[in-house]
Amino acid sequence: MELTAVIETRSLNKRFGGVVAADNVNFKVMHGEFRCMIGPNGAGKSTLFAMLCGIQSADSGQIFFFGQDVTRTQAFQRVRLGVGLTFQTNRAFHQLSVRENLTIPQASAKLENKEAGQARLEFALDAFGLDPNDETKAAELSHNQLQWLEIAMVLVGYPNLILLDEPTAGMAAEETQQTAKVLKHLNSTGLTTVVVEHDMAFVKDVAQVVTVLHQGRIFAEGTVTKITAHEDVRKIYLGRA
Amino acid sequence: MRTIVGLISGGADIGRTRVFWIGFGVIILLFLLYPTQTSAFRVANVSFYLLNIPLGLGMALLWGYGGVLSFGHVAYFGIAGYVYGIVAGNMSENAFGPLAGVAAGLLASAFVAGIFGYFVFYARVQKWIIPILTLVLTLLLETFLGQTAGYQWRIGSVLLGGYNGMTGIPWFQLGGFVFEGYSFYYLCLFVVLACYFSLRMLVNSNFGQVIVAIREDELRTELLGYDIRARQWVVFVLSAVLAGLSGLLYVQWGNYITPSQVGLLQAALPVIWAAVGGTTSLLAVVISTFTLNWVTYTLSAQGNQYAMVIIGALLVVTMLFFPRGIVVMVAERLGRFRTRRTAPSQP
Repeated sequence: MELTAVIETRSLNKRFGGVVAADNVNFKVMHGEFRCMIGPNGAGKSTLFAMLCGIQSADSGQIFFFGQDVTRTQAFQRVRLGVGLTFQTNRAFHQLSVRENLTIPQASAKLENKEAGQARLEFALDAFGLDPNDETKAAELSHNQLQWLEIAMVLVGYPNLILLDEPTAGMAAEETQQTAKVLKHLNSTGLTTVVVEHDMAFVKDVAQVVTVLHQGRIFAEGTVTKITAHEDVRKIYLGRA
Repeated sequence: MRTIVGLISGGADIGRTRVFWIGFGVIILLFLLYPTQTSAFRVANVSFYLLNIPLGLGMALLWGYGGVLSFGHVAYFGIAGYVYGIVAGNMSENAFGPLAGVAAGLLASAFVAGIFGYFVFYARVQKWIIPILTLVLTLLLETFLGQTAGYQWRIGSVLLGGYNGMTGIPWFQLGGFVFEGYSFYYLCLFVVLACYFSLRMLVNSNFGQVIVAIREDELRTELLGYDIRARQWVVFVLSAVLAGLSGLLYVQWGNYITPSQVGLLQAALPVIWAAVGGTTSLLAVVISTFTLNWVTYTLSAQGNQYAMVIIGALLVVTMLFFPRGIVVMVAERLGRFRTRRTAPSQP
């Protein structure tokens, strides 16, 4: 595994009026890592995610993708560096067919990753049971199929890094396990993966490193064992039981 | 060649079956034969219905496929028409003057739309504001052109003419061949078919799919790596050029143009044509533009003062009973019927 930082933020700050959403966040994800971000509601996970995407700008601080300063670049330019993103609420194109959903991202694909990217895509399509020639309207798919479709759409772009905001939200246990299985396999092929997630069973299953956010700050960071054993983390997030 | 056929017959417009294409061919044949069966006056009228189709197609592309409503696309219709009048009028001794006028007209439309579109899309103006801004532009243009009466508003030998408009605009000609009467009819038919097939290829291409994706969800599309501002800008300019094309044909057809062509009433018409046919289909808008122009023209020619009231009422009926457009919903119903009829029977 190369020891290069795929994502790095330096002293990232963001306030909404009197609310501190990001307080001096120094967040770093190394190549090939499977990172999970957890934290109670309002901890700043979504804000950090939005700042990484480029949907929201930071008040101060810097963001680097693959060593390149992207703080002032547009969202689409960040994606073109090889970043795939999915949202908390499903944003596949519901009025378009599965085929169209999977062909639309093609023109912006990162072609230097084609070999590995295509293998990942085919694996995910197969594991998720998605047919790239399916003319069914996405709106007719079930919730978990829609979530999977959006992950597959992102993989069409042959990314080096995927950022997924609650990819298993609303899924049943079996579907969550299937998602975990696929994401773990993709990660094992060298795809750096960052997931914002609430489901601790999922996090324990997939994460190599867990980052705990609280009140806009990185509260704790470490392996799943370390985090679940962390007394203060249990207090603020996992509950004492 | 296979790619071209694939793009034309792709799924982004209604009409993909063999029966459809046979019917399409028959209708084109009827249009080709029409001048041999009727008077020059009627041929000129049908030319008028045809020449508005590129403007309608521009609306379908921008609004139906791109999700951006322009309430002022007649501005580009007018700009192209006026610029053609100025250039071709000043080059009336030159056999290629009208061709220069066409190029200048289209460039002027593209230029103004390019600047306007740049500020709208690169500033990420919210979608609901765009119709208002576009309407303001066309009303400003109308006001400006309306006060150009008098000899001081002369460009070369051409008078802008204020509310009386610009008159004596030359026919289109290529070298020594002048397009008037029947030949102008065929020119209009050719332009309409060329625009329709080109756009059908465009909307079936990856570019067209991305345009639809932007309509569906701008943020998702941007976060798939597309510069949505640039794409929307291109579509806006392209649709303005299509409007310009109609403007050129209009001034070549009637040899005049007045500021009312860029006024409020005219501005509403392309929106109505597109809405009544169904904005998400190019063919539907072709059919509705032709038909509504025919209805309006026929009613007006018979001295009916309420032509526009009837067209307005049609829009209301469409909104209430055919929200996706009359042609589109009828085509959907026919498609469903055919599917049901050909579906294998249940055991």
